[in-house]
Amino acid sequence: MNRSFNKSQPLRHIDCNAVEVKSKYGAEFRRFSVDRVKPGRFEEFYKLLLHIHRIANMEMMIGYADVHGDLLPINNDDNFCKAVSTAHPLLRIFIQRQEEVDYSTFGTNTITRKKKAVVALRNSDISRRRPNIHIGLPHDFRPVSSIIDVDILPESHRRVRLYRHGSDKPLGFYIRDGTSMRVTPHGVEKVPGIFISRMVPGGLAESTGLLAINDEVLEVNGIEVSGKSLDQVTDMMIANSHNLIVTVKPVNQRNNVVRSSRISGSSGQSSDSSGSTGYPSLSMAAARETPSGAHGYHDDLESDEETDIVIESSLKRPSQRSSSSLASSASRTQQQLPPSHRSPQHHHHHHHVSLNQQLHKEPKHSQQHKPGQPQLHSSNPALRHSNGSLHKILNSLKTDPRHSFALPKGGVEEDGTVITL
Amino acid sequence: MMKFRFRRQSTDPQREKIKQELFAFKKTVEHGFPHQPSALAFDPKLQLMAIGTKSGAIKIYGAPGVEFTGLHKDATAVTQILFLPGRGCLLSVLDDNTIHRWELVAESTREVGGVKKEGVVSLREVDSYSLPGRPGIESSSATRATVLLLLKSCDLLCVGTEGGGVYVLELPRLSLKENQTLLQDHVTQSLPDDYRCGKSLGPVESLQEHPQQAGKILIGYSRGLVVLWDLSSRHADQLFLGKQQLESLVWERSGNLFVSSHNDGGYSVWAVTNGNIYNHQPVSSTIPYGPFPCKAITKILWRTTQLSSPVILYSGGMPRASYGDRHCLTIQQDKEHVTLDFTSRVIDFFTVHNMDNDKEFDDPSALVVLLEEELVVIDLLTPGWPSLPTPYLAPLHSSAITCSCHVTNVSTKLWERLINAGKAQQSRRHTHRKWPICGGKSLAPPPRQQELLLTGHEDGTVRFWDASGVALTPLYKLSTANVFHTDCDPIDDPHDPCDDPDMQQQEEEEEWPPFRKVGCFDPYSDDPRLGIQKISLCKYSNKLVVAGTAGQVIVLGLNDERSDHLVDVSVMDLLQDREGFTWKGHDRLEPRLKPAPFLPGFQPLVLLQCLPPASVTAVALHAEWNLVAFGTSHGFGLFDYHRRNAVLARCTLHPNDSLAMEGPLSRVKSLKKSLRQSFRRIRKSRVSGKKRAVITTTSKVQEANAALAEQEEVAPVQRRIEPRSADDSLSGVVRCFCFADTFLRDGTHHGPTLWAGTNSGSVYAYALEVPGVDSGRTCERGGASESSMCVEAVLGKEIQLMHRAPVVSICVLDGRGKPLPDPYEASQDLSIAPDMTNAHSVLIASEEQLKVFSLPKVSAKTKFKLTAHEGCRVRKVALVLFSSAVQEDYSEHTLVCLTNMGDMHLFNMPGLRPQVRFDCIRKEDISGIASCVFTKNGQGFYLISPSEYERFSLSAKVLIKPQCSVQLLRHLGHMFTW
Repeated sequence: MNRSFNKSQPLRHIDCNAVEVKSKYGAEFRRFSVDRVKPGRFEEFYKLLLHIHRIANMEMMIGYADVHGDLLPINNDDNFCKAVSTAHPLLRIFIQRQEEVDYSTFGTNTITRKKKAVVALRNSDISRRRPNIHIGLPHDFRPVSSIIDVDILPESHRRVRLYRHGSDKPLGFYIRDGTSMRVTPHGVEKVPGIFISRMVPGGLAESTGLLAINDEVLEVNGIEVSGKSLDQVTDMMIANSHNLIVTVKPVNQRNNVVRSSRISGSSGQSSDSSGSTGYPSLSMAAARETPSGAHGYHDDLESDEETDIVIESSLKRPSQRSSSSLASSASRTQQQLPPSHRSPQHHHHHHHVSLNQQLHKEPKHSQQHKPGQPQLHSSNPALRHSNGSLHKILNSLKTDPRHSFALPKGGVEEDGTVITL
Repeated sequence: MMKFRFRRQSTDPQREKIKQELFAFKKTVEHGFPHQPSALAFDPKLQLMAIGTKSGAIKIYGAPGVEFTGLHKDATAVTQILFLPGRGCLLSVLDDNTIHRWELVAESTREVGGVKKEGVVSLREVDSYSLPGRPGIESSSATRATVLLLLKSCDLLCVGTEGGGVYVLELPRLSLKENQTLLQDHVTQSLPDDYRCGKSLGPVESLQEHPQQAGKILIGYSRGLVVLWDLSSRHADQLFLGKQQLESLVWERSGNLFVSSHNDGGYSVWAVTNGNIYNHQPVSSTIPYGPFPCKAITKILWRTTQLSSPVILYSGGMPRASYGDRHCLTIQQDKEHVTLDFTSRVIDFFTVHNMDNDKEFDDPSALVVLLEEELVVIDLLTPGWPSLPTPYLAPLHSSAITCSCHVTNVSTKLWERLINAGKAQQSRRHTHRKWPICGGKSLAPPPRQQELLLTGHEDGTVRFWDASGVALTPLYKLSTANVFHTDCDPIDDPHDPCDDPDMQQQEEEEEWPPFRKVGCFDPYSDDPRLGIQKISLCKYSNKLVVAGTAGQVIVLGLNDERSDHLVDVSVMDLLQDREGFTWKGHDRLEPRLKPAPFLPGFQPLVLLQCLPPASVTAVALHAEWNLVAFGTSHGFGLFDYHRRNAVLARCTLHPNDSLAMEGPLSRVKSLKKSLRQSFRRIRKSRVSGKKRAVITTTSKVQEANAALAEQEEVAPVQRRIEPRSADDSLSGVVRCFCFADTFLRDGTHHGPTLWAGTNSGSVYAYALEVPGVDSGRTCERGGASESSMCVEAVLGKEIQLMHRAPVVSICVLDGRGKPLPDPYEASQDLSIAPDMTNAHSVLIASEEQLKVFSLPKVSAKTKFKLTAHEGCRVRKVALVLFSSAVQEDYSEHTLVCLTNMGDMHLFNMPGLRPQVRFDCIRKEDISGIASCVFTKNGQGFYLISPSEYERFSLSAKVLIKPQCSVQLLRHLGHMFTW
């Protein structure tokens, strides 16, 4: 068997940067290694796996066992990178045929370190005892919330990040005025504070289990709320709603994160609330986040910028027409949308359509586009349907861009979607 | 990120210095009429008038431009003001039974640049005293001051009380002279038994010093008794046994007569003849508006004249049944009799007359009447007693202010035309005699430029004010009501009825009482739909756009001649065939079908009617391209008023938005609110109508209840945290427009563009094809072919801000990052030409963020997330040119941003780096924040009450504030003669 991934590098020269990989397909094992620092792209890795397992013409699903013993999918650069960087000591890969994949096996506690359980991957006794949590298709995995900065906050505080774009749920919570007790040089004092007053059932805030009624809000995206009115705090939260980071003092202090070297080592992101709540708290390291563990909200403010949408009608200089009744201009808008652009290969229709609309998010992000990834071109029936109404486009965008635009699997980067109609 | 920017900014000492030279915040002057005035006084020697208000403010006015303002520490009503004539000193009595001493303090003369400058005088509170007997305690109301009298000698202050006692205080210490106190028992003893009849004399209603004999005062008791009291001998000279409840007293100049006014609407003249102590009957007694029961004459003045019989002036006395609700003041002299009919309550009045002791007659020259809502001055020297236009204290709120607009640097030509148009409007009965209150001297430099403030009102008028200096003076009034056919429309009469009250007066000549409507405060709007919502004026082409509550947009042009013409009407459907919407609001206003006569001034050219007729929310005018853009809660339109052609209509309505179709009048919430407000108004007016309302326990309970009710009104203490969504209500409201000659298509061709921003964070950018406009320059409109061509608009870009906050302002910046010049400024070389070689950018300010995007490709360059950082929301935004106060030619374009917290944030352009922050308006003052307008040079105005604009300056250089001197009769500066 081909045991070495990188043939130019003999096995004995592998230093501490190398990660041993043990991949399993059916009953077969393969062993090789990858560079921990530069693992390469997922696509290459995928091809390599197919090659060494001699699999052809089949869609495969790649999974790995993470440090907690959970079976997690590898399907893009981000989670591949994460898998390699957290492998300890070796990266255990499980390959399944796409059509055979049982998604219920992904998630928490699906694999334990016990060898027995690893073998009984599908229906372990553990998963039978606990109700199975359906997590959805792996390519739909996106973070919805996380606890961050555990290493720098007092243990009585919790900093929760809610990703609105990861979910079509409402944020779903209310805040109120209240009084809180503070220890000051003059003793314990009553000071005004802001508290979570209500959770919307089924909302994002409730479903994460990280926020609770009567938690005191201390900070919003790094800005202290003390001295600010309820309205101000409301406005701040709404203004940050695309990437809301609230620091709370939980009313229930029993589930606090206990700091340990292991967790703080893994970039301060923790998912151990899952144990207490029964819900998975996914923390996925996105590629844009520096893997060094510098997860301040400062860089979040920059990187996780919501992107304004610009719909461009490429303007031909209109002919010098003398008639310009409203009716004629209205009929022109009807023509603005091309009759049909179904095929994704249809890139260069600029020539035969006088007015073509480009829907793209801010170009800043299109520049971030990885050169290797093909730009996505899609024709969306919903868009044509909407007759160019910005509202409808945006509505469909808001709910879930992936669904409404019928994007091919795995081909979209988080930001910088460029869609040419 | 921002923290770093702040830090970097503040550590640069050079930058700090420049900032200090550019920015400085100061509230400079209050324009308009003081809200809820409660006291009036006049210093005949210094020719200064003082007005006290219910909120505890004292304002002193002299010659136009001479103004002083003082504010008591407690916001308690000023009940009385007394000048110490000639000394630049005054006493104010507050409702809480305290007396405060104010002085006009002059700064020492200083030399500035080799020129000796006269000392600027300011008003300061020097001292305060508490009179015995606090309000609110029932038992001590006996010592509550009702009237005060300052003796001419200025050394004694007599205080009349509720309990009927008269106390004498010594100035300046205001120490009580115990042995001088005159209690009621003392007087009662000397009364004949049949008059005494065991009843109290009641509170002291009036104290008047004998005009000739110092030390003798006339004391009038509520029950009707009047006593001539000698202060030195502590002895009643004479007793006048009046039987009618007393309201006020006044001496005749000689001291041989005095006049008393009474509760039954009558007045009596009493002769003061030496001899008998008791006077049982007055010389004469008259009830002028009898014989039916009349209301009280609250105050009466008796002024002698050399050439004719005395002038009698009195307020009230109206026949109770028929005219009991009128606010009237009567002037009578011989046969001449005028009943001035005001629209608001008479607070107080005085005459300007001869005060010299050696003169034999009063010879009054003017009557000054302080009303609840305005100041009216009547010229008593001109026959017919016409009213005098007031140079200050203009009632801004004569009809409620609905919007305002400021125009900087108005050309002399336009200025003169406006003044002439204004003069043509003034009624015949206005006199042009000199303003009678002429004390002090304004030291403020003459205004550098003419500035216009335009206010839109609920009654459909637009008023033009001279805002160049300290005194805000009316120039011209434009009424838009005559474009429409309204219920109360006198078809044949071009005048607004309130425009010319004298016309009515002629018709009512035979009526008794001989009413004459005076003043311009008119709180009753004929039709709320006439209300003005948006104003835009092009000062170069003299085109004006005025838009109102019922979706009307009127384009007007300036014409010096009267004109009778029919106004073109164009209807714009902004729903654009959207289905499923039915407008539930008010109807549109019916345009007048017959040609209407229009007076010199701004005359309507075109009326655009938006459908549905919702209130216009945004308007923009580009006179060079003859285009007007307008928006409502449903969409926006573009109209070419030169060719009378609708260019564009666009619906912005969100399919789920139901509220937008409700219309303002049918909204349940607002109806409830207005009901509540009207009840409150009734309650308030009842309280204020009562004379000297003693705060009793019951009223305290009421107050507490009211406070509780107010608290209940405060919105629930819970706030939902949810990102804004597209289907929030009223998301389609068009908030702002921007016309710009810039690069929308590509980086090489620029051309006219129109930008529109909505409540839901959408921005629409249209490329315009304006015939004759190429590459930003207007060519001569010569060819006939060109004139037949039409303006075209093509949607170039739609931008959706992802945070969806309402777009407050859009502005295009040139290649140097400076705002593009106004229409005509570039083509007529009135400003530095914009940089068209480097890439342009567009500033889009939403309620949450300020963002600069590059053009033509709309990509974010810089941004500042104000709400995310500060928790405040942007309410008003303006690009202002700040000039350095030190360096002659240095100036910076700065973005000024007023937030819902009432503070001003200043950002540099186009970097959007925060410069300074000033607290400006209380955050509770929502109407103040909503009414704020900025000038282009760093000043601004906002309403501090329905009738007053506060003027403020953010610029270290441009500062319009009162600077006045007063020639005081006391010796130099602070030395006091007493």
